[in-house]
Amino acid sequence: MRGRVNTALVTGGALVGLVVLAALVSFVWTPHDPTYVDAANKLREPGGGHLLGADKFGRDTLSQLMVGARTTLYVGVVAVGIAALLGTPLGVLAGMTPRGWQAELVMRVNDLVFAFPALLLAVMLGAVYGAGTLTAMIAIGVATVPAFARVARAATMQVMVTDYILAARAAGRRRTAIAVRHVLPNIGSVLIVQASVSFAIAILAEAALSFLGFGTRPPTPSWGRMLQESQELLFSTPRLALWPGLAIALAVLGFNLLGDGLRDHLDPKLRRVRAEG
Amino acid sequence: MLKVDRLSVHAGPVELVREVSFGIAPGERVGLIGESGSGKSLTALSLMGLLPEGVTATGTARLEGRDLVGVPERRLKDLRGRRVSMVFQEPMTALNPLMRVGAQVTEVMTLHGVPAARARERAVELLGRVRLPQPAQVARAYPHQLSGGQRQRVMLAIALANEPDLLICDEPTTALDVTVQKQMLELIAEVAPALLFITHDLAVVASVCDRVLVMYGGRVVESGPLREVFARPRHRYTEGLLAASRLTPRGTRLATIAGSVPPAGHFPGGCVFRNRCPHATPACESEPALTGDGHAFACWHPHG
Amino acid sequence: MILYLLKRLAVLLASTAVAGAVVFAFMAVLPGDPAEIALGVNATPEAVARLRAEFGTDRPPVVQFLDWFGGLLQGDFGTSYVTSSPVGEQIGDRLGVTAVLVAGGMLIALLVAVPVGTFAAVHHRDPLGAAISAASQVGLAVPAFLAGILLVFVFAVRAQALPSGGYVPLAEDPAGWLRGLLLPWLSLGLVQAAVLTRYVRSAVLDVMREDYLRTARAKGRGRMGALWRHGLRNAAVPVVTVLGLQLATLLVGAVVVERVFVIPGLGDLLLNGVAGRDLLLVQGVVMVLVVAVLLINFVVDVCYAALDPRLRGTR
Repeated sequence: MRGRVNTALVTGGALVGLVVLAALVSFVWTPHDPTYVDAANKLREPGGGHLLGADKFGRDTLSQLMVGARTTLYVGVVAVGIAALLGTPLGVLAGMTPRGWQAELVMRVNDLVFAFPALLLAVMLGAVYGAGTLTAMIAIGVATVPAFARVARAATMQVMVTDYILAARAAGRRRTAIAVRHVLPNIGSVLIVQASVSFAIAILAEAALSFLGFGTRPPTPSWGRMLQESQELLFSTPRLALWPGLAIALAVLGFNLLGDGLRDHLDPKLRRVRAEG
Repeated sequence: MLKVDRLSVHAGPVELVREVSFGIAPGERVGLIGESGSGKSLTALSLMGLLPEGVTATGTARLEGRDLVGVPERRLKDLRGRRVSMVFQEPMTALNPLMRVGAQVTEVMTLHGVPAARARERAVELLGRVRLPQPAQVARAYPHQLSGGQRQRVMLAIALANEPDLLICDEPTTALDVTVQKQMLELIAEVAPALLFITHDLAVVASVCDRVLVMYGGRVVESGPLREVFARPRHRYTEGLLAASRLTPRGTRLATIAGSVPPAGHFPGGCVFRNRCPHATPACESEPALTGDGHAFACWHPHG
Repeated sequence: MILYLLKRLAVLLASTAVAGAVVFAFMAVLPGDPAEIALGVNATPEAVARLRAEFGTDRPPVVQFLDWFGGLLQGDFGTSYVTSSPVGEQIGDRLGVTAVLVAGGMLIALLVAVPVGTFAAVHHRDPLGAAISAASQVGLAVPAFLAGILLVFVFAVRAQALPSGGYVPLAEDPAGWLRGLLLPWLSLGLVQAAVLTRYVRSAVLDVMREDYLRTARAKGRGRMGALWRHGLRNAAVPVVTVLGLQLATLLVGAVVVERVFVIPGLGDLLLNGVAGRDLLLVQGVVMVLVVAVLLINFVVDVCYAALDPRLRGTR
């Protein structure tokens, strides 16, 4: 209904906006050099020039968080991009020929890739090519392909039975033309929602990988590694775990809420009121 | 036997059914007709105490002296399926897909105190009584293995299981094939103790019922013996409904009622039909009462 | 039903074989010759060649793969080039620990999510139902390892009630075993419960709108009675799918949580293997985890058929 505020969309948008803003600002300004090791500021308490304090190497926490946002978004964008670019065409193909061998092949491969979670892929890739942001992004992206392919396939199958597609097919339009002109625009909203949700999952995966030492390599700041470094100091300086933990949770919450909000916003069917009588 | 008095249904501030009153005698078959959105299903659901969340009923309805409206769920659920039963419109979704048909028929009896073994036996009898071939086999089937018509027969068997005083059918044949429809209607007319039959299809009502209530905009606008109402409709809405359903000779225009049914809460004050009525005058701005013995109607400018 | 099972089983076996090939191919491109690494830089070419022949790495990759995969099918994971100990034994020791970790986490998730999700669905119009939805949304945003750190902070650092890590075998000290696993279980279970609660809620909510629930009430069941007798099993069908997916994430989550709590499970073994460039060990652990995911999918498919007669394809 018009005029009713979509709380999930607004809250999610605000949180995501905050992360994006922090990342953008970090390109031009951070309170301190996030990688500058300064023995004088070791484990410095919050206050003064260090709003959120400093870690065991004297690096400024706020600056690290801001650049960490950049890393997080970078990994998310590339991973979701890989998943969408590979998964969508495969899903559409499978959805347009639901009984063809292509669909069978796509779904079987999908199930197989699904058996390799992002973390396993990243560890394998890391073992072969060395761990780093790139291998983490590729691993998360490839592991997310099945989710996109499944959603795209399901949405395509729904669109394929609508009258306008039947009309286009009856008119003898080529399959690729139907896919590009009719199917893609109609499953777009579903894919956008999926992208938002996948982004949240990618953030979680990147954090986990960096925590294990299979993600972003030092000295590039990353929320997951900040957490890992803080763990040994949990007894003495718990705030070092608090900030990156909060950053991860809020970013993931933001993308999840954004996905939910978009779903409600783009899919009016979900808001229908059952009219009886 | 059933006596409904000034039954109203509200969804928040919106009045969906307004002061409906009628009665059903034992063995009587009453049709409730009207377009979708007229409030006929809500009327039926309020008699069952099955209104959707957020929708409430006021007024009184008594079945053999027992109150059906405004009583706690605990008391109502004892009556449901025992004294009053209902068959719904959609046979495809009305049965639990994960449960064998026989168990679903048995359930309604064991719920009301019939011993399990006796109920199982009787379930097969009932399936036979609604003319399902090989009832013992049907009892072991799952709903998805049956056709729509067969499933609706199962629903009827469930409804009849405890020999209720009143059977309510809400568009029971609308979702079925035409050939199956006829058999189903004959069966309902044959087995129903007393019947409240809801439909938008006048031909269906004519083949099943003795008396009709015509609803529009949440009100009963005309009621009376079927033959009389159909032969000499008085309310302008009933007149339009009958004209629209009549087979027209080739070349003549099909008569329709102007405009469409407004959404709930957007009916005009006074006579609810006046914004679509060709005979409306300023007099229609005040509400006409349902008057007349036997054949009653609520119209300032009745036909004939 | 039997045909369906056989078909699923064939898919399981084929997927396992292909997954094995993928894992093997991945590891085969690993730079560095295990024999050269084992002998160091000063080794003579003859010695390297001899060790290669011993390891079998001088054979064509296809032969090596068939040898390795054939061994897997018989439970033989090969002998590590690095530690010279049988990989299968190492995995066997750790598998039990990880399995207990995952099972406990899943159990906690189910025990929390099913009642809470159902409650939230039944009370979806009340503030309490909305509060549960909001809480589960927040829980969804917390990764298991972060939950682990939080729990350590609360129960180990502040309350000093439970150990912050470490693992005691059950046979040695049952109480210590339980105390050591409690926080890891909770970190995995509570996060998973948040996810599951949402699915249970929406599944129950969907079922509550079904016509057959109205039928059940028309028979004389109360709201909760109808939901209990007819709703929950129907709601279980979509929830079981999610449960399968969740078990897979839980398995991966366990790898990370083992790191947080210093628990000697498969994840720990895997990461050690990578650090020590122990090729066969990494291959073996990855294979075990992948097969576990495939097996879970298989079991989910079977559960489906058991739950829903429409999928059995029999008359």
